[in-house]
Amino acid sequence: MFSHTEILIAKHFRNTAFRNKAVFLLTIFIGLLLIYAAFSGWINFQKQNEIRVKYQEQARKDWLSNPDKHPHRMAHFGHFAFRPKAPLSVFDFGMESFLGNTIFLEAHKQNTVNFSEAGFSTGMLRFGEISIAMVLQVLLPLLIFFLGFSSIANERENGTLKILLSQGVSWKELIVGKSLGIISVVMTLFIPIIVATILLWALLQNMNISIDESIRLLLIILVYFVYLVIFCVIAVLISAISKSSKTALTSLIGLWLMLTIVLPRGSQALGAYLYSTPSKAQFNADIENDILKEGDSHNPNDPHYKSLKDSLLRVYKVDSVQKLPFNYSGFVMAEGEKISANIYNHHLDELLKIYDKQNSFSKGMAFLNPFMAIKNLSMALASTDFASYINFQEQAEQYRYEMAQKMNELQIKFISNKKPAVGEKPHAIDKKHWEEMHEFVYKEAEVSTVFSHEIISIFAFIFWIGLLLFFIRILSKTLKAI
Amino acid sequence: MIVLAFKNFIRSNSVKIGLSFLLIAGIVSLFVGKQFIEKQEQNITETAAYQKEYIARNVHHHQDEIGLLLYYLKFAFVNETLPINGLSIGQRDVNSSIQSLTIRGLEAQKYDADLNNPTNLLLGNIDFSFVLIFLFPLIIIAFTYNIISEEKESGTWRIVAIQSKNLFLYVLRLFFIRFFGVILVLFFILLLSVFFLKIPLESIFFSFIGISLLYILCWFGICFWVASLQKSSNANAVILLSIWIVLIIILPASLNNYLVNKYPVPEALSTTLKQRKGYHEKWDTDKAETMSRFYTHYPQFKQFPLPDKEFSWLWYYAMQQIGDDEAATQATAFKEKLNQRNRVSNSIAQFIPTIHTQIQLNEIAQSGLSNHLQFLEETGKFHEKMRLYFYPKIFGEVPVNSENWEKFKVETFKNPHESGGLQSYLSLVIFILLFGALGWVNFKKSIYQV
Repeated sequence: MFSHTEILIAKHFRNTAFRNKAVFLLTIFIGLLLIYAAFSGWINFQKQNEIRVKYQEQARKDWLSNPDKHPHRMAHFGHFAFRPKAPLSVFDFGMESFLGNTIFLEAHKQNTVNFSEAGFSTGMLRFGEISIAMVLQVLLPLLIFFLGFSSIANERENGTLKILLSQGVSWKELIVGKSLGIISVVMTLFIPIIVATILLWALLQNMNISIDESIRLLLIILVYFVYLVIFCVIAVLISAISKSSKTALTSLIGLWLMLTIVLPRGSQALGAYLYSTPSKAQFNADIENDILKEGDSHNPNDPHYKSLKDSLLRVYKVDSVQKLPFNYSGFVMAEGEKISANIYNHHLDELLKIYDKQNSFSKGMAFLNPFMAIKNLSMALASTDFASYINFQEQAEQYRYEMAQKMNELQIKFISNKKPAVGEKPHAIDKKHWEEMHEFVYKEAEVSTVFSHEIISIFAFIFWIGLLLFFIRILSKTLKAI
Repeated sequence: MIVLAFKNFIRSNSVKIGLSFLLIAGIVSLFVGKQFIEKQEQNITETAAYQKEYIARNVHHHQDEIGLLLYYLKFAFVNETLPINGLSIGQRDVNSSIQSLTIRGLEAQKYDADLNNPTNLLLGNIDFSFVLIFLFPLIIIAFTYNIISEEKESGTWRIVAIQSKNLFLYVLRLFFIRFFGVILVLFFILLLSVFFLKIPLESIFFSFIGISLLYILCWFGICFWVASLQKSSNANAVILLSIWIVLIIILPASLNNYLVNKYPVPEALSTTLKQRKGYHEKWDTDKAETMSRFYTHYPQFKQFPLPDKEFSWLWYYAMQQIGDDEAATQATAFKEKLNQRNRVSNSIAQFIPTIHTQIQLNEIAQSGLSNHLQFLEETGKFHEKMRLYFYPKIFGEVPVNSENWEKFKVETFKNPHESGGLQSYLSLVIFILLFGALGWVNFKKSIYQV
């Protein structure tokens, strides 16, 4: 696949790189950092999931331990959903810290997902977090730049470049060989990281590994490999076009800062600046107004509920709702729940569309910035992205709706239409019904959803591969030795 | 002489690019800050309009029962956003500055999250504090990494060393010129902010400037020290960038991981669960017991005996109250955990100028965790005030119309200015002196080496 000369150049590069003390120290340092990242990711996963599982079980126990009561009381007693952390969150924390993890599910009301780590944080979180993914995304490219800045520029400064070229080494062989050299050095970090990640990930799932999870992990390995190769080639190309190693170094450092610090913030800030989101008060007010337009169940003269009532009375040939063969207020609530849930979901969709617009700049930025491509794709593969969170929120809402409607159904079926007389016990149904509502179990989305959410990032990778191949070809023809 | 040297410095292309980059980033940050402040104001206006309309509609619907009406009514409580907040947005984009509360159980409402796009939070704001903490040092590094090494590499140092009477003063002057250029940009941005964000010229703004200045000086100190090591330009660049990465990325991020793992907050979850159970199970337990606990909490309401009915609002609100009371242990532990996190991170931050500066700027702009915890505390007091106002009216079943509902406007919490005192400057000053002294000692030894 590679020519003998290319492999020779690569081997030579590798040997000199390892003799350099600074590179050696830097590699050790990044290695230590990776160990810390893996360790703290593991601890965090264990602790957080332990807490969440504990309270999920507690919440279920509380639900089941309710005595006989009116089903609508149960609908308000409600349930909780705690968002479990995905196994690959050990590798990439993604957005986890900025997303809530606790949602209270009750009738009539879509509550917010509360208690994000960011809410508990001092300003410190804004500097970032150390995860394996972060080290690979941010620090390894810099290491690559440090390794590669002098790869060709130095040969040019020393005059060895002329000798190499006159000996029949082609520019293409030089670029490919040097890139391979850097890649082989980086692999001494990358391969152990991947092995460690696989072990951690398998251990955390007690070796019960699903095919879906395995595909995710394989893809992660693949895209990170491509990502690092992209940076190796960039380093060599910049070094090749620079007059001196100093210019190469400063340009590469500048590039790294642009790619990892300035552009990501800048592009997102632009999106957030251009598309404004409604305030929570406005969002809730809009939902409420739409519900009122559709039908106000509190208003006895509301046309929607009046016609519902009239049609029921006609069908059952009775003159008052008390004479209906089922519980009328349960029926009204079921209708209300249906209307409000639909309207809420519609508004939430609209809000998410605005978020998508805000994010469109930083997503599209992937074509200019491979860092954004890997960041988004990696989060998605690790299930720590916004789409995974929305998936959780939707499942929680689905559960909430089912629970509310289940309780309405029980009320319609088992609760008498007559109000209890003074001194009489209030209506209640047997507690055995509480078990009929299944427990909330979050199901992670299939890996195929990643392809639809992150198609831009995937195309950006393909684009970058093509772009760099193109540059290697062009520069091989146009570069000069001096 | 120094004026000439400054003119010479400012004329260089790379300097022009560097300073313009800072200036543009600074101006962008002011736009971001302004938009944030305007958004906060708009949120408050919308909340106020919504509250007015919502109260009026519900009062219209629930004319007969004040207890039922107050089941629905929500009252907003706002954490005041100072104009200076536009310079350091801090945690204000995560934590809502508006609470909208019913007089029902507090613990079930107090922690409700705001609506926000997490990608914005993840990638971060470009506010002034970001420009100052992240970008200013980069330009300082770019201006100073080759200050002596370049002259050495090009061979001109020899000439300078012979010609200059006091070589150390000459080096200081080189640094001073660069410092002056950077400070000029800093002051220009801050001056713009005064007009653009309408920041009043009061003591907190001057503390803000003070911290910013010290932070910049701190980086000049670091660069001065690195220059004194007399390494090559390439080595200086790598060393300085490494320091930047360690101070801005690696140390804060590692510490954050440490804090998160060391102080997890399960209390948040237990508080909510406990509150729910505490309130809901009262529907099925002995009413008399609930009432006696309520009367113990509020002896002043003993004058309202429980009506002989299956349901009464007195009983209902007593149940809600007991839910909060039963969750009090967890809620206190929750609060204590957050305070602990805040304390620990503030004290660790003293050893890391970047985090220290961010936290101090947030403190000054009232956008940090301290402010949020204070706001939560005041939210509790506001809620209690509303409860105590309405409880007697509900229990006494006063007619809905006897109340002037228009008077319930959005209320605002003004966090009193607490200056961090000299303490907040001290850590930065120590760093400046430390690096300055180290650099000075090195220069004394090696300044004439070629």
